[in-house]
Amino acid sequence: MRDGEIDEILKNAADRLPQVKPALLKGVAAAIQPSLRPVRPLPPTGVLTGGVFLICATVALAGAARAGFNGFAKMDLLERTLIFSTLSILAWLAGTEFVHEMIPGSRRRISAEGMLALGSVALLAVFAAIFHDYHTEHFVSAGLICLAMGVVHAIPAALLSWWILRRGFAVNPQSAGLVAGTIGGLAGVGLLELHCPNFQAMHILVWHTAVLLVSAALGALIGRARQFRTGRR
Amino acid sequence: MHPDITLEMLMARYQAGDFVAATALIDRISPQLYRFFLGQIVSRLDADDLLQETWLRVHRVRHTYRPGEPVLPWFYAIARHVRVDHYRKAIRTTSREQRLEEMSELAAMAPEQIGKSDDLDALLAPLSESQREVLQMLKVAGMSLEEVARATSSTVGSVKQKVHRAYEKLRERMNAMGLRKEPSEEKS
Repeated sequence: MRDGEIDEILKNAADRLPQVKPALLKGVAAAIQPSLRPVRPLPPTGVLTGGVFLICATVALAGAARAGFNGFAKMDLLERTLIFSTLSILAWLAGTEFVHEMIPGSRRRISAEGMLALGSVALLAVFAAIFHDYHTEHFVSAGLICLAMGVVHAIPAALLSWWILRRGFAVNPQSAGLVAGTIGGLAGVGLLELHCPNFQAMHILVWHTAVLLVSAALGALIGRARQFRTGRR
Repeated sequence: MHPDITLEMLMARYQAGDFVAATALIDRISPQLYRFFLGQIVSRLDADDLLQETWLRVHRVRHTYRPGEPVLPWFYAIARHVRVDHYRKAIRTTSREQRLEEMSELAAMAPEQIGKSDDLDALLAPLSESQREVLQMLKVAGMSLEEVARATSSTVGSVKQKVHRAYEKLRERMNAMGLRKEPSEEKS
């Protein structure tokens, strides 16, 4: 059997659309009529993405302003350019994906999981290319401090990003939570790169990148809980 | 309402608070959405509920549609969301065994019943849920691959892959049912 023959069978079957009860359609129209007011459509993707990006940058800069720009001061120009341009590109991409998650029927270029994987791999590649001091000191204790600091800043960044898109509608809250967590995580990593003066390769590769993964996982969990709660109603 | 008015125009007028446009949209899109729900192996009663719920959800989030964008993927994305919610509620309230029983009954429907009745739901029953919904959107709603990708929050490549697998499964099933045209038949 050829594809064309299957097409024909499907077409014949599809030609007969089922009748919807007219009373049901009237009921739907009557239900929406009282609250039918003009609404303002959401702003363009670029504007919303810009808002999310600004939040990401503001949270990272505000955190570093409080904790100190020790890491930034210790880097040379090439290191600064490589790290912060990568973070900026990833934050913009994640912002765009978040906007798409919050608008039903948007065009998708990458999945939420794909965005997280791309972010992690890109950061690992840049860190591995820049930092070559493989000796470790206070690996766990110093690492946990950085992880906690990164996640603490990731949470407000993710929440504020969600607030920017509060008029949107996530058809898949778990996936939207994952992307929001990724955005928050990028803000957290940004803060650590500005602040953390520990340039040991393993510290940065493991603990700084972990901020992204932990934040994304938290975001996905919150989204899943939200999805579950909505389903119960 | 003039039949040449596109769904996108109606949606823009609905956003502007035009009740006539809203009812025209309801009349034009509901049969497709209804078929979409019926194709997911739900009863007519459930399909009625899902259709109503979809319209209430559409009404609540109508501001998320952006003029100029294709409207069908937007509707179907919301309809999918409503269906998933319904499915979650259903597996909490009804036993899984019962549902599985219903599904296997449909899947095991007599082959001749499928081929001759031209019943789309029965035809698509052996497919997985995601394959079924993709074929529904492509073949029933007449959406493009790009639009189906938007509605299902996936990429065009992934939609193509699902369609390919669905066709393979359908071909196998139809061949097994004896619907295959033998070479001698084709020549004659």
